[in-house]
Formats: sequence, structure tokens, C-alpha cells
Amino acid sequence: MSSPIIVENLSKQFHRYSSEKKWTIQEAVLSGFKRDKSQDYFWALRDVNFEVPAGKMFGLIGRNGAGKSTLLRLIGGVGEPTEGKILTSGRIGALIDLGAGYHPDLTGRENIYINGVISGLLRKEVEKRFDEIVSFAELEEFIDSPFRTYSTGMQMRLAFSVVVNTDPEILLIDEVLAVGDLNFQQKCMDRINLFKEKGCTILLVTHDTNLVANLCDEALWLNKGRVAACGPTDMVVMQYTTAMQTETQKRTSESKTAKVIDDGNVLEVNKNRFGSFEMEIQDVHILNSDNLPATHLNSGEQLTIELEFCAPEIVTEPIFGITISSEDGTVCCEASASVADFGQQRVNGSGKISLEFSRLDLARGKYFVDVGIYEKEWTYAYDYHWQVYSFNIGEGNRNNSLLDPPQQWKFESYQD
Amino acid sequence: MQKSWNLAYTRDLLRELIMRDIKLRYKRSVLGIIWSLLNPLMQLLILSLIFRIVLPLDIPNYNTFLFTGLLVWTWFQTSLYAATGAIVDNRELIRRPGFPAGILPVVTVATNFIHFLLALPILLAFLVISGIPLSSALLALPFLFVVQFLFTLSLVYFIAPIHVRFRDTQYLLGIVLLLGFYLSPVFYEASAIPPRYQYIYRLNPMVTLIESYRTVLMQGRMPGIYSLLLLVIISMAFMAIGYGIFNRARSHFAEEL
Repeated sequence: MSSPIIVENLSKQFHRYSSEKKWTIQEAVLSGFKRDKSQDYFWALRDVNFEVPAGKMFGLIGRNGAGKSTLLRLIGGVGEPTEGKILTSGRIGALIDLGAGYHPDLTGRENIYINGVISGLLRKEVEKRFDEIVSFAELEEFIDSPFRTYSTGMQMRLAFSVVVNTDPEILLIDEVLAVGDLNFQQKCMDRINLFKEKGCTILLVTHDTNLVANLCDEALWLNKGRVAACGPTDMVVMQYTTAMQTETQKRTSESKTAKVIDDGNVLEVNKNRFGSFEMEIQDVHILNSDNLPATHLNSGEQLTIELEFCAPEIVTEPIFGITISSEDGTVCCEASASVADFGQQRVNGSGKISLEFSRLDLARGKYFVDVGIYEKEWTYAYDYHWQVYSFNIGEGNRNNSLLDPPQQWKFESYQD
Repeated sequence: MQKSWNLAYTRDLLRELIMRDIKLRYKRSVLGIIWSLLNPLMQLLILSLIFRIVLPLDIPNYNTFLFTGLLVWTWFQTSLYAATGAIVDNRELIRRPGFPAGILPVVTVATNFIHFLLALPILLAFLVISGIPLSSALLALPFLFVVQFLFTLSLVYFIAPIHVRFRDTQYLLGIVLLLGFYLSPVFYEASAIPPRYQYIYRLNPMVTLIESYRTVLMQGRMPGIYSLLLLVIISMAFMAIGYGIFNRARSHFAEEL
């Protein structure tokens, strides 16, 4: 089955004038229907490619004006792409501009009918779900009062309730999870999780990275209309926060050139490496029990990961993190240590840190070692290498398991 | 987007949008529905005073004659005026994912058609008071409604997207409609136009329409079928072009609003 949302080479160009001033026939006639359009264009989105697999929750992050909402609208079928195409399959429910389309002078009841139908339901389907919509929004007492008499929270609740009760197969959410009180927010989250379980594909736009990290399976970071990063949520979020941090520190990370490492892998900024580079990871060694570099190990063997780092200037209490993950991104093992754990406060110059696993009972397969050095509060990365270093576990069982600990079957049979 | 032109769905959507327009019109006014009748009635009063007393036109059953013209013209005029707002005033609907913008012109014409229908009993009362018998020719009225609906709608499909681009369309439209009012036989008879100008005069489809209504209502005869069928064909052609333009402009609506 193909993905419910496929975005291919999408670009969107906007006329700058449309936001400034409306054109009039008078002006058009006076200027002879010519209009200087030379500088009136800008690209809101450029060459965006991604796919959202069925049943996944996908986060779109980026700063204001990065094109997130434009992208979400285009996916919702509002406006047309300048280049490229968007393929969607399934009924789309949109939590965008909540409350738009709700008329202040009409009652809650009338608004439910109108918006239910606008959202794609038949009138009798709305009728059937009416009670559910009202009770979810907790507005039983006020349903026949005009919409304008509702508090903002009540209005949002009603709008949210209508959309979630239309059984969307694709749900587009734009920064609206902060609806109503905490209790209602929890209800919204529960409902979103329920949608996820039912196989609904969800696209969430936000600049709250915590939300994305907690909810989404995959994420995409849009920067000035282009895809800056796309992939597993953790990586994209970390990359985004790091970049935001780097920017505030006015450090240019782009100047780092790509670096080829021993096994032929290329280390490239913003691809598999990112950070503010206040500290750098110079080299990473994966060592076997004989302290020799190894790419193939046996299950249960000892493994040491060694990091060589350098800090051109003083860095306070950095944290080192090492993650071993399988090829599909499942984290098998995660460890971190702060310099403070070793009784030191700052690092300056170069050094070495190593982590020894006295035994690693992983099942057969390929594993990645992701290494990073982080700011002392984990707010961003100084340097992070993602899916650069790897090793293979050669021997042992290969079921669908991750672990292959020492094991022994015992069998006894009793006969009467 | 996927099922927007599905018949049952379109019917429901139309119904909700028309009901919304009508409810909104009357929600906060004490006089309610009377408002939509007041305008043609006031016009009737003024024009009737002028052309019966100040400049007598000598048309039999002038009040009924005039009111027929006024109601038909009012439906046409208010629809076209509303057309300028069909897209612009529904910004939030246009920006709803999957909303079929093409339905809005239909809503505009239909809403005003309902106001027209609400005023129709008054017109029938005029007929009865004037002693004009209600004949079986009245059965032709629905056909006239359809023709006028199609013709008006075809123009709305032109006007709505133009107003999105040029926001002074409504002023220009105001002038054109004022001109149209005098160039249509609303308060005078089409036969008052000198014969050598008749050919040009009858290019205005409203001449055919208003005369057909009068034939049915006041003379109890069937209207001339050929000119009406021609009007249907013209309306269809306009509609095809207008809808084409509308569809091409539609992708920009969201940005230009």
C-alpha cells in the first residue's frame, strides 16, 4: 500500500504583493494592465520531498515563516503547488485555523451542522454524531447559545470536537493542542493517540520540540522553505535545537568541511553530523576485548567505545552520550556521563573518554554507534555523529530479537 | 476534496450554506424576513407614484406590471452584488481543506432565489387584487426560474473571481447594474423602445426574461419558448467559460484573500 501522504519536489511561490495591497481595476487601466512583477516573488517552499507512512505520526518543525503552515495547507488542498505534487489518499481532517468557519451569531448547534458538513460529513452523519460531539466538547448546557457567547476555550473545544468526530484518515494539526484547560488537553491527547492506534496518519506542525519528541515517529525540519533534516524524531529534534542554539551563538557550523573517516564513511555537517562545535569529536574507535579496532564481534563479547575529543576553548561540564541502535533505529542501549562524574568541571584542549561494556549480548546483525557531546543541560549538542560508526555481530541466533544472552534449554519428561 | 461533488454530499453542503446565509440575514433583526420585502415594496411605491401621477405611462395594471419587473430584477441584481462577496467574504471557508469553492456562486444565487420566492406570494396577491385570473400558465414559472438561475449563475462565475483580484469590481458593477436597470423593461414596456433600436435592445437577456414573466403572470399565456431556449444555450456557454475561469482562478483564492 502506498503512503497516504506523498510530497514530491514540492515548491510554492508566492506573490509578495498580495499581502500588501489589493489591485484595483482603476490602477490596472491606468498602468495599461502591466505590473512590475520582477521582484514580487518569493519561494515559500522549495524542493520539499517526504512521505508519511500509514498510521505514523509525523512532526513538522521549524521557525516562524519557515513554510510549515503553508505546507500543511497545501497538503490539505488549500492552494496549489507551483511545482511538484502532493498525493493524499483518505478523508482529511484538519485542525487548522480552529474556529474559522464558525459564525459568532449562530448557535453551537447550527455551527456543528454547518462545520460537520463542511468537514466532509453528510447531514445525517452529523446528526448521528451530534451528541458525541457535544459531550466531547463538554458543552451540553450551552449548545443552543450563540457561538459568540462562548469563551475562547469553549470555542476551541467545539471546533476540535467536530473535527475529531469526522473519522479522518489523515489528520492535519497546526499548533492547536493547547486547547482549553489541562483536562481537555489530556482528552485531546488521548483522542489523538486513539487515532494513531486506529491507523490514522497524523501530521503535526509545531515549534514545540518536546511535543514532537514525545508524540511523533518521524519528523521533518523546515528551514526557509527547504528541508533541513528529515528522519527519526530524535535526530531531527536534536539537530533542530542544536541549530537554533548555534544560531543564537552566531557560530557558523556550515564552514566545517566534510571529513572522510577510516572505513570510508563521510562525515558531513547537517547530514550525519551536527552541533555547535564548541567541542568536537575527533575520532571514535570501536575496540574488541584485545583493545583492537573491530568491525565484527561475537555476541557476548566485550566491547569498548572510545571517543577522542577536543575543546578549543573552555567548556563547562559537557555530557558524553553513546547510543547503540539497530539498523531500523531501535535503541538497544544508551549511556551517558558528565565530566562532573569524574570530579572535573571544565574541559579545555583534547582528551579521551571510553565506555566499556564487559559483555554485549546482542543478536546477530548490524548496529550503529551514535556518539555525541552535549551541553550540560542537554539543551543542544556540541557535536553529534549519527549512524556513522557501526559494527556487526556475527555469531549467534537471529530471530526477530535484539538480545541473545547466554542461554541453556533444559528438558525433562515425566511418564506415568 | 475527494467526495466534494458527490451528489448527496453536495446537496447537504448546499443546504447548510444556504440556511447559514439566510439565518444570518435574519438572526439579529427584529423585522426579519420583512427586510427582504421592504426594498422592492419601497421601490414599487416610489416608481408607481412617479409613473402613474408625475409622468403617467398609461400601462394597465401598472402596480402588478411594475412589481413583476422589480422582483425579477431584484433577484438578478442582488445575486450579482452578492457575487462580489461570494469568495471574498467566505475567506475562512475557502481556507478549509477540501472545501469546494465552486459551490459558493450557487449558494449566492440560491439564497437570493429564496428571497425572491418569499416575495412571490405578495406578487400573486397583487394579481388577484388586480382581477387577473391565476391561470395554468403559472406552471411555466419553474421553467423561468431555472432559466434565470442559470443565466445569473453564469455571470456570478465571472464576477466572483474578478472581485478577488480587483477589489473595486463592486463599484464598477454598481454602475453597470444601474445602467442595466434602465435598459431593462422594469418600469416601462419593451415596446416603448423605437423599432430601429429593438434589435440591439433585445440583446439584453433580462428583456426576454422580464417579458416572459409578465406573459405568464399577467396574460396567462405560455412564454416564447425559442428566445428562452436560446437564453439557456447562451447561459450554458457563459457558464462553461465562467466556470473555467473560476476554476483557474481558484488555486489563487487562498493566497489572494
